[in-house]
Amino acid sequence: MTHRIDGGLIDRSQTLKFTFNGKRMDGHPGDTLASALLANGQRLVGRSFKYHRPRGIFSAGSEEPNALVQLRTRAAQEPNTRATMAELFDGLSATSQNHRGSLEFDLMAINDMMSPFLSAGFYYKTFMWPAKFWEKLYEPVIRASAGLGRLSGREDPDVYDHGFLHCDVLVIGAGPAGLSAALAAGRAGARVILADEDFRLGGRLNAETYEVDGMPGADWAAQTVAELQAMDNVRLLPRTTVYGAYDHGIYGALERMTDHLPDAGGKPRQVLWRIYSRHAILCAGATERSMAFGNNDRPGVMLAGAVRTYANRFGVTPGKQVAVFTNNDDGWRTAHDLSARGVRVTAVIDSRAGVTHTLDGARIETGSAIVDTKGRKGLNWITLPNGIRIEADCLAVSGGWSPNVHLTCHQRGRPVWRDDLAAFVPGADLPVGMRVAGAANGDMTLAAALKTGRETANTVAKDLGLTPSRKAAPKAEDEPSDITAFWHVGGTKSRAWVDLQNDVTTKDIKQSHQEGFRSVEHLKRYTTLGMATDQGKTANVLGLAILAEASGKTIPETGTTIFRPPYTPVPIGAFAGRARGKDFRPTRLTPSHKWASENGASFVETGMWMRAEWFTRPGEKGWRDSVDREVEMTRNSVGICDVTTLGKIDIQGRDAAEFLNRIYSNAFAKLPVGKVRYGLMLREDGYAYDDGTTARLSETHFVMTTTTANAVLVFRNMEFARQCLWPDLDVHLISTTDGWAQFAVAGPNSRRLLEKVVDDFDLSNDAFPFMACAELTICGSTSARLFRISFSGELAYELAVPARFGDSLIRVLMEAGEEFDAVPYGLEALGVMRIEKGHAAGNELNGQTTAAQLGLGRMVSKKKDSIGSVLSERSEMNRDDDLRLVGFRPADREARLDAGAHFFTKGDTPSLETDQGWMTSVAYSPSLGHSIGLGFIKRGDQRMGEIVRAHDPIRDKDTEVEIVSPHFIDPEGERQRG
Amino acid sequence: MADMTLTATPALEGYDRTIGTMRLAERTSLSLVSMAIPLDGEGRAATAVRKHLHAELPPATGSTLSSDGSCRIIQTAADQYMAIFEHHNDAFTDLLTNALDGAVYVTDQSDVWVGLSLTGPDAVDALERLCPIDLHDSNFPVGASARTVMEHMGTIILRTGQHDYLLLSARSSAGSFLHAVETSVRYTQP
Repeated sequence: MTHRIDGGLIDRSQTLKFTFNGKRMDGHPGDTLASALLANGQRLVGRSFKYHRPRGIFSAGSEEPNALVQLRTRAAQEPNTRATMAELFDGLSATSQNHRGSLEFDLMAINDMMSPFLSAGFYYKTFMWPAKFWEKLYEPVIRASAGLGRLSGREDPDVYDHGFLHCDVLVIGAGPAGLSAALAAGRAGARVILADEDFRLGGRLNAETYEVDGMPGADWAAQTVAELQAMDNVRLLPRTTVYGAYDHGIYGALERMTDHLPDAGGKPRQVLWRIYSRHAILCAGATERSMAFGNNDRPGVMLAGAVRTYANRFGVTPGKQVAVFTNNDDGWRTAHDLSARGVRVTAVIDSRAGVTHTLDGARIETGSAIVDTKGRKGLNWITLPNGIRIEADCLAVSGGWSPNVHLTCHQRGRPVWRDDLAAFVPGADLPVGMRVAGAANGDMTLAAALKTGRETANTVAKDLGLTPSRKAAPKAEDEPSDITAFWHVGGTKSRAWVDLQNDVTTKDIKQSHQEGFRSVEHLKRYTTLGMATDQGKTANVLGLAILAEASGKTIPETGTTIFRPPYTPVPIGAFAGRARGKDFRPTRLTPSHKWASENGASFVETGMWMRAEWFTRPGEKGWRDSVDREVEMTRNSVGICDVTTLGKIDIQGRDAAEFLNRIYSNAFAKLPVGKVRYGLMLREDGYAYDDGTTARLSETHFVMTTTTANAVLVFRNMEFARQCLWPDLDVHLISTTDGWAQFAVAGPNSRRLLEKVVDDFDLSNDAFPFMACAELTICGSTSARLFRISFSGELAYELAVPARFGDSLIRVLMEAGEEFDAVPYGLEALGVMRIEKGHAAGNELNGQTTAAQLGLGRMVSKKKDSIGSVLSERSEMNRDDDLRLVGFRPADREARLDAGAHFFTKGDTPSLETDQGWMTSVAYSPSLGHSIGLGFIKRGDQRMGEIVRAHDPIRDKDTEVEIVSPHFIDPEGERQRG
Repeated sequence: MADMTLTATPALEGYDRTIGTMRLAERTSLSLVSMAIPLDGEGRAATAVRKHLHAELPPATGSTLSSDGSCRIIQTAADQYMAIFEHHNDAFTDLLTNALDGAVYVTDQSDVWVGLSLTGPDAVDALERLCPIDLHDSNFPVGASARTVMEHMGTIILRTGQHDYLLLSARSSAGSFLHAVETSVRYTQP
């Protein structure tokens, strides 16, 4: 470890092994990957985005533009990880990215020599000829070269989670202002969450040598953290980035739970928190920025505050001979701290004239600058304007500090410029409940940060009705922080970098301005300044200042782009959380699911439900064999189908009948107790949207069934009607869909089967006719409901029992049905039978069809008002030549019909103008021995027997079909009434 | 009279597991009965509930316990309450219908919901991975209840003790709900 120096907040008693590009290295607990790499003398860590220039670690925080690495291996590999934020652990494996060949000898570095052709917006101007080369050659090559890291392409083996937190005060950032704020709010008794992206709370206190309350700042931070940790009303969230400020005081935060552990132990790697706060205090600190000068991107050129951080916090010096280039007092602090730790500072160059700072042993140049640097894969020399070259393997640059205003902008807040800081500070238009304290608000000194943090928290405490603590405020001194804005060094031919991550130079910005991209928003899009993973944290202000200079305006006149979430990148896996694979959404199972699984069922998703689509028996070669058998056996004897998924709504009240009368288009007010009626619902616009049956169990009690798909929608619409349209009606709704296991028992032997199950209940046609309903007991004493309704067209019933008996009931029914050769049937057979019967379902009730088109025109009562009845009277919806739902059968009975085919009169050329309608549902009818279909065709009810074309351009089919009645089976309904 | 009988199957087959310090168990014996208040019938309903269930109608996010502790009442919607009986009785709904004599509209909900009890000192740690409701003592004391959504599933949460919660969710998605809660417990147990 050639670059370790004394001190720091690392645990030197333990050694952690890690690898970088396969090379074994050592570090200590408390290190980041970046500090450990520097400690091992690894200056070159990556290649730049466009020109593949060698790049090194630039910062010590989340603003890092250069040191992006791929962390971990194989499927767990994560690209674009900032080495400055990766907490070192034993066994960590990191590799550099964005190079072909080795990091040291990147073949793509040839781009650097082609830089004149790759300036800002080059892809809008070059590679234009020959035109056909763009798609075949240029674009693929550019795309292959673009991007930084690479995804593994495999399924992420890590797990992620979400969560919800609540607090009175969310303190964002645990630097001096944040700790001070959290302490004050916590002492006042507020429920506090203190979140910080670092694994060690304290912010700059851990990186500086200042004292607070007479002790080293880092010690004060640790003591304060301990006090906060002991408070029941305070929750500390280290390793947590608050990445977004959303409506109503809601914040998004990403907690890196196990990223720092060699083995997550099956626990989530990261948790995405939604934090509900009454107040938030943003104490996000400030980010140092660079200055632009020739070749200012070499490995070894770093932010001055970062160099100080590595020395003070991590016990690492990034260089053995360090030079400092600054335009403010803070740069001098780096020089002094390094010197005090025994690091040789070769020179301090201050752009300000007349500065009186001194440093023994260092060359001091004031009113000067750096015009160029040397050292291909790492800094060797810096060059001053007078041509003097100074040896340096590390250059610490301080161009001033920019308050981290990002979260103040997330609801369109616009920062304002402060000349005295040469920086933007938060504007007045903050997210609701947010206050800003410390450096994030432009209070740049330690004493000011501690003070404003505390004062802001005390103000919040009062707002919450709490009494601020009278404990003494932490004491510290205001350090010097003068700055004179200085942005870039002119008069040099070397390229001067503004945005390191996007390879944007001062020349690119000036060129962008020359080419007319003068708005700061256009500048960003044209040059890519401030884009990608770092979002220009170190580059934006610098770029803006150079644009302002190019346009002859001030920075406030030039304006600024603003920020949107996320503050730092959030993995897609964290957004997904645990919602992946089969857990992507809930699964609903019918009461007979287990039995069906045991009996050869194949399941299909219908919404969230898993429904049996058919039951395969040995010897059956395909689904059609199963479905045909189920239909035939049901029509010939008896079949049983789980219809629990249909929506069930319990409707009670003195006005329940009147309520239903207004909900359904057909009459319900006089439905007798013990009877069921089929009902049609219209939307307000008069179109049909759902149908089903409703049974009257008593004068004040009805049970409605809806289609499976619309169960929630119908309930919601009815609840709206109840609460908002007719609050004067005494009616209550409650969903009982899950409460009842309901089975259709259909076929000529259904009555005989049920007679074996019911307790002393007369099922004869006289006692319990078609459309009757009853509450009864079955199998000894189990409460049940029985409805004599039929979707298949057969003699049929629907039997419902409390859901807990559903599994038992299907077993009992099948056992009782053995003597009749009873068969379970699935969704496909159900569909075949309803098509044979001509019943409309979702394909026909698609929200675009009217009652008249469905052949249900007479169900819209003219004698009463109901939802949709008025608008259903519109003349266009009642044209005689409108679509009508009819049946179709192939002229050649061997032909197979396809849903989706469009109808055309024979001889017409298929087009929109000649289109007559479309086929909605088709099935092979085992009862008829050929394919059948339902569909809408113009004047269909008047064209029985006509042969038309069913044209299907997608399948390239053209079939002649005959228009027939939609009721293929038992058109008079004798079976179901029998 | 049919010579067959039906047997009840709990939605989660009586799931009961201890994970670390937490116990997660299906409540198979609950009776849940919805009571809706007729229009302008609040007074009569409250009197009937007081007389027959020995409990008061609770405020929106609270609950009341019957004097013998056998029944807890929560509010589930405007003018709608749910009586939660500790011990199941198939005839509860009829009993209540008769006892309350039209003062409320009664609907048996026992089979609509699956009940899970979550017990242990780390219950809140697990629930905060699922539950958008603020479960802090100051906001959700013992006896508090709320309707919410957990992992896309409608849920009623009821705090029955210092470290005890009753969660009710739809029976048909009981497996998904159990998985969600169990995952939260596993993720938050050391």
